[in-house]
Amino acid sequence: MKKRPLALALALATAVSLTACGSSGGTSETGSGDSGSASGEPTKMTLILRGGAYGESLEASLPAFEEEHNVDIEVMLMSFDDLHTGIALDAVNDVGTYDLCMVDGSWMAEFTENGVLANLSELGYSFDNDIIPATTEICIVDDEIYLAPYYGNVTVMMYNKQLLADAGYTPEEIDSFADVQDIAQKTRAADPSKNGFLIRGGSADNILSDFLPHLVAHGGWVVDENNNPTVDTPEFKAAMEDYLALYNVGGTLDKDDIVASVTSGETAMAQIWPGWYTPTADGPADYITIPTKLTDDSEPLDAVALQGVWCIGIPDNAPHKELAVELLEYVMSPEVQLASIENDGVPCRYSCLTDPTVLETYPHLETVCGALKTGVYRPAIAEWTEFTNILGTEMDNIIQGTKTMDEALSYAQEQLEQLMAV
Amino acid sequence: MKRNKTVKLRGAQTGTARFGLGMLMPTMILLLVMTAYPLIFTLLYSFTDYNYLRGAENASFVLFDNYLSLFQNGYFQQAVWNTVLFTILAVVLEMGFGLLIAVFVNSLKRGQKVMRTLLLLPYLLPAVTVALSWRMMLSANYGIINQFLEFLGLPVFNWFMDTHTAFWTILVIDVWQNVPFVFLLLYASLQSVSESQYEAARIDGAGVLQQFLYVTLPNIKGSLALCALLRTIDTFRLFEKVNVLTGGGPAGTTSTITQFLYTYGIESLNFGFGSAGAIVMTVLVLILSSFYIKRAMG
Repeated sequence: MKKRPLALALALATAVSLTACGSSGGTSETGSGDSGSASGEPTKMTLILRGGAYGESLEASLPAFEEEHNVDIEVMLMSFDDLHTGIALDAVNDVGTYDLCMVDGSWMAEFTENGVLANLSELGYSFDNDIIPATTEICIVDDEIYLAPYYGNVTVMMYNKQLLADAGYTPEEIDSFADVQDIAQKTRAADPSKNGFLIRGGSADNILSDFLPHLVAHGGWVVDENNNPTVDTPEFKAAMEDYLALYNVGGTLDKDDIVASVTSGETAMAQIWPGWYTPTADGPADYITIPTKLTDDSEPLDAVALQGVWCIGIPDNAPHKELAVELLEYVMSPEVQLASIENDGVPCRYSCLTDPTVLETYPHLETVCGALKTGVYRPAIAEWTEFTNILGTEMDNIIQGTKTMDEALSYAQEQLEQLMAV
Repeated sequence: MKRNKTVKLRGAQTGTARFGLGMLMPTMILLLVMTAYPLIFTLLYSFTDYNYLRGAENASFVLFDNYLSLFQNGYFQQAVWNTVLFTILAVVLEMGFGLLIAVFVNSLKRGQKVMRTLLLLPYLLPAVTVALSWRMMLSANYGIINQFLEFLGLPVFNWFMDTHTAFWTILVIDVWQNVPFVFLLLYASLQSVSESQYEAARIDGAGVLQQFLYVTLPNIKGSLALCALLRTIDTFRLFEKVNVLTGGGPAGTTSTITQFLYTYGIESLNFGFGSAGAIVMTVLVLILSSFYIKRAMG
């Protein structure tokens, strides 16, 4: 007799737990611009940001906003891939989890095409003249603003001061890729245990991103004006030849090893992002803008360095949209941007990057400012993630010698054409 | 009277059957929700061009297109080959070292508990922690291992970025972490082998090797098969270490099926294509598992 109630109770318990699990997603707060609840409890906001100095500099500025608006902000710091996946997975919910998100420019086309981001212009946000115009290029679609450039990330050329002097150069004299090649070759010739130049390995995106400035300097690009792939071209091959020449007097490492190697005097030069290393006046290393000329006799190009600006946006399904706009305006304000420098932040504002008192302590920001003014973004195509996986892998095959350049680039061209045709 | 008894008996049998069914229901429901539902949807999605951001409502059926692209994809072929090779090598090495250590610890007169605890430590660590620790130790720039090799005057390597070393380095790390699991299972099995069998073998003049071959191995055969099965399934799904340490590079030499699915399915949000890969992987694991299960059943 006791068996039946027991079985029923167990079945009921299962049904109740499953129902409870199923209903948990529907209890999210609906959008509201009010700060705090009626009971005085702080409003809960959630931010999904890029880990490292990019997100941490923003996180450090939040306490004042939390206090002023009676909000409690939770910050999630993610890796590059996890950030992309995290924002995308949340985008399909009616009411999302995140109020503010950090976005890489290369995801912009994919996100705007699928309505992931809120239209900031409609929410009343606009750029002021202090923000470096080149950094906002990726933030605008059809004259509407979707993102704001928060962290001025742009590739720069890191060098070891001593090895550069040993090669007979001063930083000001490096104005072409031929100079970079010369320094790298001289460093290796002087001491075979030293690296002339280091390239970044680890993922297809790393490999391709670091190569793009070299490709631009050779007059090439990965797509034409109609977004047709252009990788099996003489320009691409010439750039790759020069890149291999640099690799042959150096090697490939991940970012931590690259910075450690240049600062320890094992390597003369490497391309880095400002967030990886903050130079000091008496430090062993510093950085310069990436040269805009191929050779000393070439005409300088307008833009060569790769823009990797970390932008901030508001998901279209953000739970507290109006409050999120206030937060976005707050972190983009000149005062907060200026203060972020203390936390390894790199603002995208002229006023911050040219402030004499700031430059006294952080002279490298002048270099960053110059690079931000002339940087070039990755192509804005929705298929960029797949594009970079295919091309980066084939470039890795060339660098590692597992395929010839002709084989790899012809295969990449074929695969990319198929991808873009879909 | 007899008819009444039969009716009562039938009633009791029906009650027992109902009770059994009732007891099974919670498990069945959970299994259906947690296993069958995702599996069916993965299978369904594998025949579509479902992209997560575009939404399921905009997906259309493409029949076997995903499977065709998968099998024609050079990177997938390389990932399958890497996974199979890695699984075979890792399972053989883990089983070999695990068995050796288990026999050794089992033969110790003292200190078995201490040895058992110490040997288990690598297995208790999360895979990501293990990967990051090894990455620091094997750093080409400041890693202790390269510094030690330099000190001995031996050549140093760029362990994770060189096509000649990356695969083998991850293999060593995986074996290092998972040998304790094999050890623990086999050690437990060895503990249950009766000492009298060894005594009888010794009386019959069996040496150490003969005792191992004719007493130890037959007694732990079932555990060996189970261990190999579990390790094969687990190694086939290798992901964290590859993702953290090499991302499948250099030149795809460490790319595994799961890493491929992550890069080309999950990262690019092409869940239709990713689902096709997941189904292929499930089938491969099932084939491997059935082979071992058959062997274990004798």
